[in-house]
Amino acid sequence: MGHLQRLLLYLFVLLTAASSAGAGEVALSAAASLKEVISELSDNFAKKNPGVKYVKNYGASGALVKQIENGAPSDIFISANLEWMDYLKKKNLADVASIGTFTYNTLVFAGAPGKASSMQDLIKLERIAIGSPKSVPAGEYAMEAFKKAGLDKQLEKKLAMAKDVRECLMYAERGEVDGAFVYKTDALQANKAKILFTVPQELYPRVTYPMALTVAGAKNKDAAAFFGYLHSDAAKAVLTKYGFAIH
Amino acid sequence: MTSLMSTDYDAIRLSAQVAIAATLFSLPYGFAAAYLLTFVKFRGKVLLEVLVNLPLTLPPVVVGYFLLLLLGKNGWPGSLLSDAGIRLIFTLKAAVIASAVVGFPLLVRSLRIGMEGIDPQLIKASRTLGACWHDTLLSIILPLSFPGLLAGSSLMFARSLGEFGATIIVAGNIPGVTQTIPLAIYDYASSPTGGSTALALCLVSVAISLAVLFLHELLARRVARGE
Repeated sequence: MGHLQRLLLYLFVLLTAASSAGAGEVALSAAASLKEVISELSDNFAKKNPGVKYVKNYGASGALVKQIENGAPSDIFISANLEWMDYLKKKNLADVASIGTFTYNTLVFAGAPGKASSMQDLIKLERIAIGSPKSVPAGEYAMEAFKKAGLDKQLEKKLAMAKDVRECLMYAERGEVDGAFVYKTDALQANKAKILFTVPQELYPRVTYPMALTVAGAKNKDAAAFFGYLHSDAAKAVLTKYGFAIH
Repeated sequence: MTSLMSTDYDAIRLSAQVAIAATLFSLPYGFAAAYLLTFVKFRGKVLLEVLVNLPLTLPPVVVGYFLLLLLGKNGWPGSLLSDAGIRLIFTLKAAVIASAVVGFPLLVRSLRIGMEGIDPQLIKASRTLGACWHDTLLSIILPLSFPGLLAGSSLMFARSLGEFGATIIVAGNIPGVTQTIPLAIYDYASSPTGGSTALALCLVSVAISLAVLFLHELLARRVARGE
C-alpha cells in the first residue's frame, strides 16, 4: 500500500470514527444566556452519571432552531422565548409531550455607569447594542419594549445588531456602544458593564425559557435522563445561584 | 422573490458606497506601493512586499480584531481620535477602512502586473531625454499602468463588496447605517424565517459580483495585450 493510500485510509477511519460517536452522547442546543448554567449543570450531572458526553451548542435561540431544522444533531432544545419553541413544534421537530418551562429572566440595560437610568434616556445615546431581533429573543424583547415606549423610530439608526445576547454584552463590556440590552443574568457575568436600569415589565412579555426534547432526543435515553435532571430541585438551586427566576 | 425591506435596499446602497470609498481611498497608496515594489530598489523591500500581501492570507476576522484594538476606545490611535472627536468604530468609516485593508493586496498585485508590463526602454529613453523621476512617473508610468489600475480597482471593488469578517467586527451591524449586503445576509441566514430574503440578497450579491468580474476580465485582457 502506497503512502498516499495509507494516509487516505487513516483519514477515512478518523472521519468515520468522529461522525459515528453518537452512542452515549447528548447534544444540547441552548440559548446563549444559559451558557454558564448549562455547563455547570451538565458537569454536575456527568459526575454522577459518567460515560456520557455532553455536546453543548450555545447561540441565538432562532439560530439554534434554524440549525435543528437543517438537520444539526440536537437532543434537547432550550429557547429564550416561546416563539422559537412554537416554531420547532410546528415543524414537528419537538417532542410535544416534553415541552415545559426551564426558568425565567429579566431584561436589563447594561453599560458604563452614568450613561442612562431610564428608557427615555436612550434617545440621548449614540450607539445601543441589541441582539438581532430576527433570531435573538433578547433583541425581540428589546424591540417590543421600544415600540411600547414609543421610542422605536428614534432609536432605529442607533441599534447595533449582535448575533447573540453575549456578543451584545461584549460590545458594552468593551465600551464600543453606550449600552446593551441583555438579561439580568448576563449582566451579572460582566466585569465593566453594570446594570443601568431594569426594563419595566409592562413593556415586554416575561422572559420565559421553554425546554423540550427534540424528536430525535426523545429516543435517546441519556438525553431523557439529563432532561429529567433539568427539572430537578438540584438544577433549580444552580439556576437561582446564577440569578435566574424559578417562578 | 420576496419583498426586500427598506433596510435591505440600504444594505445594497451601503455596500456600493463602502466598496467605492475603499477603492478610491486606496488608489494613491496602492499606486505608491506598486511603484516602490516594481521600480525602486531599497532595503527592506521584502518586508514591504510581505506586509502588503499579509491581509490576503490573514483571516479577515484577524484583520478586524486588530483594527478594533487599534481604532477602538482602548487603542492609542483610537483614543487619540476620540479625543479629537472622531469616532470610527461602529460607523461606516470603519467599514471602509476594513475593506480598504483587506482589498489592498489585490489592488497592488494588479497594478504591479501592469507596471511590470511597461517596456523598460521607454523609461530609459525618457531619462536620457532629461526627464526627472516624477516626469517619468507622470508621463510614462501613470498612463501606461492605467489598464492595471482599472483591473486592480475593479478587483478590489469586488472584494470590498464581499467583505464580511473584518467588517462585522469593526462596523457593528446597524441596519441602515453600517449593515452591508453580507452582514444583512448573515442576519437573515441565522433566522428560521429569513431564508427567502437571505436568498434574494444572495442573488443581488451574485449579480453584482458577476458584473464586476466580467468587467475585470475585460480589463485584464487589455492589460495582457498591452493596450
